[in-house]
Amino acid sequence: MSEPITRRKITVDYGIRVSKCEICGRRYFPPKPFCDVEGRKSRITYEDYFYNRGVFYAGTVVRRPTNKFSYLGSFIVGIIDFNGEVKVPGRITDFVVDSSEVDLSEFIGKEVLPRFRKLYVDGESGLIYYSSLVFSFADDYYEARDYKPLKPSEKSEKPGIVGYGVYIPKFRIKNDDPSAGAGILERAVPFPDEDATTFAVEAGKRALIHASLDGRYIKKCYVGSESTPYAVKPSASTVIQALKLGEPYEDGFFSGGLDTQFACKAATDLFIDAVALVESPVFRGEYVMVIGADNSQAAPGDPLDYTVGAGATAYIFGKRDVIATLDYYVSYTSDTPDFYRRDGEKYPRHGGRFTGEPAYFKHILSAIRGVLKESGLTPGDISYVALHSPNVKFPVRAALDAGFSMDQIKPSLVAQYIGNLYSGSSPTALAALLDIAEPGCRILMVSYGSGAGSDAYIFTVTEKIEEKREKSISVLSQINNAKRQYVDYSTYRKWKESSGL
Amino acid sequence: MTGRPYAAIIGVGRTKFGELWYENPESMVVKAGLDALESVDKGLHRANIQACYFGSFMYQVTNKLGLVPGYISRELGLNVPMTQTEAACASSSSALHNACLAIKSGIYDVVLVGGFEKMTDRYGKIADDLMFAADPHEFDSGFTFSGLYATIMARYMYEFGRNDEKCRIALAQIAVKNHHHAVKNPYAQFRSEIRVEDVFKSTLVADPIRLLHCSPISDGAVAVVLCKPEIARKYTDDPVYIVASQQATDHVSLFSRISTLEIRATRLAVGKALKEAGITLKDIQIAEAHDCFTIEECLFMEDSGFYRKGEGWKGIYESIDSFNGSKHIPYVGDGWEVFVNVGGGLKADGHPVGATGLRQIYECFKQMRNEAGENQVDVEGGVRYALCHNIGGSGGIANVHILTREVKL
Repeated sequence: MSEPITRRKITVDYGIRVSKCEICGRRYFPPKPFCDVEGRKSRITYEDYFYNRGVFYAGTVVRRPTNKFSYLGSFIVGIIDFNGEVKVPGRITDFVVDSSEVDLSEFIGKEVLPRFRKLYVDGESGLIYYSSLVFSFADDYYEARDYKPLKPSEKSEKPGIVGYGVYIPKFRIKNDDPSAGAGILERAVPFPDEDATTFAVEAGKRALIHASLDGRYIKKCYVGSESTPYAVKPSASTVIQALKLGEPYEDGFFSGGLDTQFACKAATDLFIDAVALVESPVFRGEYVMVIGADNSQAAPGDPLDYTVGAGATAYIFGKRDVIATLDYYVSYTSDTPDFYRRDGEKYPRHGGRFTGEPAYFKHILSAIRGVLKESGLTPGDISYVALHSPNVKFPVRAALDAGFSMDQIKPSLVAQYIGNLYSGSSPTALAALLDIAEPGCRILMVSYGSGAGSDAYIFTVTEKIEEKREKSISVLSQINNAKRQYVDYSTYRKWKESSGL
Repeated sequence: MTGRPYAAIIGVGRTKFGELWYENPESMVVKAGLDALESVDKGLHRANIQACYFGSFMYQVTNKLGLVPGYISRELGLNVPMTQTEAACASSSSALHNACLAIKSGIYDVVLVGGFEKMTDRYGKIADDLMFAADPHEFDSGFTFSGLYATIMARYMYEFGRNDEKCRIALAQIAVKNHHHAVKNPYAQFRSEIRVEDVFKSTLVADPIRLLHCSPISDGAVAVVLCKPEIARKYTDDPVYIVASQQATDHVSLFSRISTLEIRATRLAVGKALKEAGITLKDIQIAEAHDCFTIEECLFMEDSGFYRKGEGWKGIYESIDSFNGSKHIPYVGDGWEVFVNVGGGLKADGHPVGATGLRQIYECFKQMRNEAGENQVDVEGGVRYALCHNIGGSGGIANVHILTREVKL
């Protein structure tokens, strides 16, 4: 496919854009500026089905796919019906079929949810194609909440987190030997059509739903990752286009953003920038989205191959309807080469035990000391602690060394079940705490990014958290989701490679 | 008959269908074209050809060539006007439709119509290439052509044949029948009998479609010579007339059509063609149906009006199950009997997509002139009316031609 064709398709496919005749109500996909029935009287408007639910009308299991889709093996495709008003084609994702014949009638009539996924790639160096015409069954792993944007409160307050969204893929691999993963028992594995960009969109979508916020109010989007699928071409623009962030204008949006890179703290470094921006009289944006997303990479057989996970967490920062105010911040940085990946290399390298004491612990503990001093607080004043979790052993030891108790760190140790999400690690640990925190709780989050630095933030949870809770999909519910599915090591490697394309 | 025929068919020619590894697209066309010219009973020289109409689908991609007229001009030594038509699997019947219009308009007296496809030059990529005849959103969803028809078949079975094994069997029997019909067709790609259980044991391609529900990847070419009806007897004492040439179109995309279970273009084109020919379905004795997948033959039997919607499989099952003869297996209904795909159809004769529409004409021409040899269909008094039904894509276009020998000029 050519670049111009791709651009034209993006404007339709990311949002599942449908045209509607306001005279007779007929809808058309692909959208067109004309109603077959009303003719010249047509009055056409456009609507997106990105957040809607559809029904599997008919379909098949493609077992001899086109070359572009051969990376997926056998998969279900079909026609999706939205309210009997319009039908679209779509692929069912996150669904593994075996070699026996499938009775498609079992699927006809089942509810489906749009997902944001990769379609295919043009070889090693060409474009990567994404679409929302990819669905999962509503009774499968992927949970959804209705998206009902509300008008933001008039009252402006201390800035902080307005909403958040966590996306953990459906598939998992178990660590047969937990000691190999330093406490990590199982890890999230991306389906082959997922990558850091699709994670970012899914997490951002959930954050908008959680915040009940219209994306047009968000005027900056940062995507922190060390596994963005392009070396040059931002994931942020894909997220902005898919989530419609900023005021729409023609087929783009008045918003900005960029991909950020600082190993595993690529996202958290921007939390303070987000808060600063919403306070800026020049920015006039009100809201900023920050996403930590990674399809965490490790060379086969490397010790990291027992710890890497996959997923993303997105935060929306603003100063209205805040669920957790950002109260204190300290960052600590030094040039410490503990973990790195040269341009063009597929997997990162690391300094083995050097990644511990002089790297992770030194930076995390320095940042904690700094932020406690800055705030005048003591470990006893903090309700919960969330630390970057390359494994379970490190954050536990760091928390205890800093004077915190196991009770304070334990609820954040979700890496035990999803692995190290790299840029998404400490943001997801923080989300696990926000899932359970009550108003008044004080949360300390400290990230760590190799290379090296740590950001320490102290948040205070507000009353608003309770009323938004029904809109969240908690980390634990994803960890314990009964539909999660385990794969063996060879499948994990194969899918990981495919996702890393 | 309500009007003057469009044209008379005075000669036909074809290549064998199959894996023609040693042929180029243009060499196949030339063989079929010269064969068609040679077949004209009283002789016809190339110089009599005033124009050529060709149909082909994917030559630019599969064979890396364009400007078909230039190739044919060189190979046939002609410098007459030539038009190439692309309408996916209905390319050559669309070319025929255009040729019919040209003859009927009085512009030309004699034209050559050809159809070809050379699919095996890109075996490894042909599933991708065929999707040019579908909406890009269908390709991007992972659909293949077998997947599109499997979607129709799955919904058809869900709505009309759920919990009835006979529906599943009927959709396999179509393949069994068409293989049976191809055994004595010397040009057919598959001349072997198969059983229903063979269909069910064959490889799954796109559930519920298995390999033996599908027409094959084929190479081949067909050509026919048309002339103005009034001068036909100058070339043969036994012309076959085209008394209806109708075309209807519908959305390229299966998902956006009004119904997934009806090929509306078929219904419209058949209806118009019958009206134009001044006959009813009961007059049709042989029909060439577009059986790219067996479900499509079933849909044809319904959309044309032979069977009611949703009951095609019952008629097919009862027709085939009750058959105890040894030659061609007819479909039977209330006061009618029709032999469908007497040469094996797309399923067994082969489906070089751009040649298929004219292959149907070739088959009917031979059958109507009692020239089908060992594969001659037994119709009392000979075949008077034949219908050719050729569709493109998953139903984005349908061409229907009705042929007869009984014309009063």
